[in-house]
Amino acid sequence: MAGAARKQALRGFFTPLVEAMGYKFTPDEELADFLLEQEVMLEETKGAPYCPCQGRTGRRADDMRVVCPCIPFHRAHFDAMRRCWCGLFVHQDVTDPDSLPQVSASELGLEG
Amino acid sequence: MSGQVFVYALSTCPWCRKTKQFFTDRGVPFDFVDVDQVDDDEGDRLADEAYELSGSRAYPVVRIDDEVVVGYAPEKYRRLLGLPEGF
Repeated sequence: MAGAARKQALRGFFTPLVEAMGYKFTPDEELADFLLEQEVMLEETKGAPYCPCQGRTGRRADDMRVVCPCIPFHRAHFDAMRRCWCGLFVHQDVTDPDSLPQVSASELGLEG
Repeated sequence: MSGQVFVYALSTCPWCRKTKQFFTDRGVPFDFVDVDQVDDDEGDRLADEAYELSGSRAYPVVRIDDEVVVGYAPEKYRRLLGLPEGF
């Protein structure tokens, strides 16, 4: 199935990128699978594997900031949460992703 | 319990789904819109509205009366709605 193959390809593509930034795929396999499925769908319909939990504006400069993995564009925010916004990636030492709440950048005194 | 609840969501976002489920499970009336599931112009307008409230493009954006919560945050929802801890 094309979708399954693309999900696997994205996994292979993302893994070394996020590892270099100190992150890994969430150990919550069900969540990871769902998010990758959404990204494959967004890639097919919108042209890139955008974050399923961040909106697009139609302006390229904005939208490039939410193409997965978007960690470099939100580094301080995600480092503070120890996860990315959608939760596909967590810091490498995280074993219990459910313990990491979503907290907005503004609440942390950071820029999103 | 008090509070008028409105959820700005994306259909692709699992945390948006969990947020809606939170209110559903507790019998809290709420309205919502999946901003990616409405026509382009209306979707843009709603996305801008959510951005004005939250200051970011992150979803879900939850408005409870005049307060805004960005993200899936059950404890904050409970506090703003006056629900007991752990409910």
